Amino acid sequence: MANGFLCFVLHAHLPFVRHPEYEYFLEERWLFEAITETYVPLIEKFDELVDEGIPFRLTFSVSPTLVSMLTDGLLQQRYLKYIDNLIELAHKETTRTSGTEFHPIALMYRDRLLKIKHIYTDKYQFNLINALAKLKHLNRLEVITCAATHGFLPLMIHPEAIRAQIGVAVDIYNKHFGETPVGFWLPECAYSEGVDSILKEFGIKYFLTDTHGVLFASHRPKFGIYAPIYCPTGVAVFGRDMESSKQVWSSNEGYPGDFDYREYYRDIGHDLEYGYIQPHIHPDGIRVNTGLKYFRITGKDNHKEPYNRENALRKADIHAGNFLFNREHQIKHLCSLMDREPIIVAPYDAELFGHWWFEGPEWLKSVLRKAYYDFDLIETITPGDYLKKYPCNQVARPCPSTWGNKGYNEVWLCRENDWIYRHLHIAAGRMIELASNHHHSGGLTERALKQAARELLLAQSSDWAFIMNTGTMVEYAILRTKQHIHNFLALYDQIKSNYIDAGMLAELENKNNIFPDIDINYYNKAV
Amino acid sequence: MGVIFNLAVGVVLVLLLLTVILWSAKIRRKPVQKKPQVPVFQEELAEEVAFPVSQSDSAPKVSKQPIPEIPWHYGIDRLVLMVRDPNWIYAYWEITATKQEEFNEQFGPEAWSSSRPVLRVYDVTGVEYFNGNNANDYLDISINDYTDSWHIEVARPNSSFCVDVGRVMPDGRFITILRSNIVKTPSLSISNLLDEEWMWIEGIYRSITNLRMGSSPMITEETSQGLGIIPLGISSPGMPDKKH
Repeated sequence: MANGFLCFVLHAHLPFVRHPEYEYFLEERWLFEAITETYVPLIEKFDELVDEGIPFRLTFSVSPTLVSMLTDGLLQQRYLKYIDNLIELAHKETTRTSGTEFHPIALMYRDRLLKIKHIYTDKYQFNLINALAKLKHLNRLEVITCAATHGFLPLMIHPEAIRAQIGVAVDIYNKHFGETPVGFWLPECAYSEGVDSILKEFGIKYFLTDTHGVLFASHRPKFGIYAPIYCPTGVAVFGRDMESSKQVWSSNEGYPGDFDYREYYRDIGHDLEYGYIQPHIHPDGIRVNTGLKYFRITGKDNHKEPYNRENALRKADIHAGNFLFNREHQIKHLCSLMDREPIIVAPYDAELFGHWWFEGPEWLKSVLRKAYYDFDLIETITPGDYLKKYPCNQVARPCPSTWGNKGYNEVWLCRENDWIYRHLHIAAGRMIELASNHHHSGGLTERALKQAARELLLAQSSDWAFIMNTGTMVEYAILRTKQHIHNFLALYDQIKSNYIDAGMLAELENKNNIFPDIDINYYNKAV
Repeated sequence: MGVIFNLAVGVVLVLLLLTVILWSAKIRRKPVQKKPQVPVFQEELAEEVAFPVSQSDSAPKVSKQPIPEIPWHYGIDRLVLMVRDPNWIYAYWEITATKQEEFNEQFGPEAWSSSRPVLRVYDVTGVEYFNGNNANDYLDISINDYTDSWHIEVARPNSSFCVDVGRVMPDGRFITILRSNIVKTPSLSISNLLDEEWMWIEGIYRSITNLRMGSSPMITEETSQGLGIIPLGISSPGMPDKKH
């Protein structure tokens, strides 16, 4: 009998990046790296836990853009090319490092990459959604979803635009998982009043916010963040626990900065001689991360020692024990105060595990394993399960908030990106106008309407505003924003003037092929 | 340390000065949409930023696709208000030539040029139906004719705001040109409203110390580390500071 519940939520998302017009496109590597370093390793660990008969529960949010890319034939083929090239490099590395202290690490990479390819191609037939569906079916994962293109909902001024972001996401989820998602990850955990009523329309039972989203609710929540609250609409809200977050993320106290863990910033894509590495970086000669890294963090200065896998894994295991020890402590304390089992909600970006924190998947597996075997007071749970157990909760309006820097909208609304909204709002308004005036269109018009909706959705990705804010790769974010707005405006004019450029439409449909079955009725003006 | 600090301040001042000079030069020139790539307005926004954004000199430019031109003006009169955080709101607007002409027709041929533009920020917290005269209070911000957006510091969590873009006539009258939607700033603290049926447990709140909202800015540094790095998260809570 558990005294308290631990609720891991991993949010997996990447913006839709797919450029069939180029043989090779740098930003497509985001997906390939994430598959190699995060998605497959996490799935591998979950599968191992299943094989060991460990009944863990974990909530996994997968964004519709990521689902679309993971199931896209072109990107799957390109990933195969990517991993084959990487495996070739890993083979070369075993020779190059022969007789050096780096040799065992090179062997590790080679074996690891071969296994990842095997899992990707043989076990799951190029489609990692198969893995998620299987783990969901096995009652290990509660798979939830997120807005269609990760649009930043609080800064949309048209409810129809929010409805489309949510509706399209629910449809995609339905298509791949055969039912409506029980929960919803609000992009950037960004909540504002009114979003919950649209979630309710789609039968969504809960969403998550940052700590202060619940803590600063309209009425002081009895249990703080250790139980959900209900919005007046009846949709439940779970708030992030900072203690458990801090241990994994924090710069000072977080695990990933441990000196035994792998150093992210020493990558042979940047370190090795150009002639040798050239076939494995960008065809234009731009050096990129290969994912093959030979050093451990070692210390705070530039001196780096070789990575020792065994030591790193031992440390991950120790950190897993430490994490649970702290949670147990926390739960004991909370139990002394509460008349029900507390839920500790620990949401993370999935890409933290493996990509940034190389040992993250092993740490997570170890936590889930130990929670089962060694920590009787702790049980893993999903928000959906908790609501079944405790359907009666306090009602209060959550505080509009995000999990971005400083906790509100500033990251997505600052001097670097504020200009996008005057375009996004115009486009959303025009999309609503189009949908409301073309109820029964067919043929070319219908296709143009659907493509217009795709372009709008793609322009709305919160990723572009975020990248503009960070100051790197800004050009690509500006390009994508303007391209989609440009495409939208052109389609709008064409539909309005009843003169659709079939060639251009076909090109856009081929290029931005996300959400093939998109239902534009979500944009119908609400009466 | 002090020297470096002074130097840094100096550099920032010089940059600011330069920005101001460039800014005013630009205004005098008046924006002409002739730049092949980025609309001029976009450039001005970039210059407003006081710190240099590393435009990836180490990172070669790979996205060679031409950036398409999109319009800045849509020919629609509008004033949109958005919330940034408990202390700041943001407004953008567009006033069409027709609107200006109407103004002159109503108030005289010189009315537009002899009046000055003002942003009037009303606190309408608790006001059921705002009609322009029943705000709790308001604040006027002088702007110029080339401005079409503003970040407004209101410093009032849990409050409702509405904004007018208007003109102050030579005799001091304020004439509304456009009125915005109403927005509400979010809370910045734990509510004082208690729920009798769900009386709060003080001990839990005492154990929540050191509340840090949102992620650490470190993720920003982390993601600016080079090309091909996944723009993680795309905003996740802070990352370990491993930048050397």
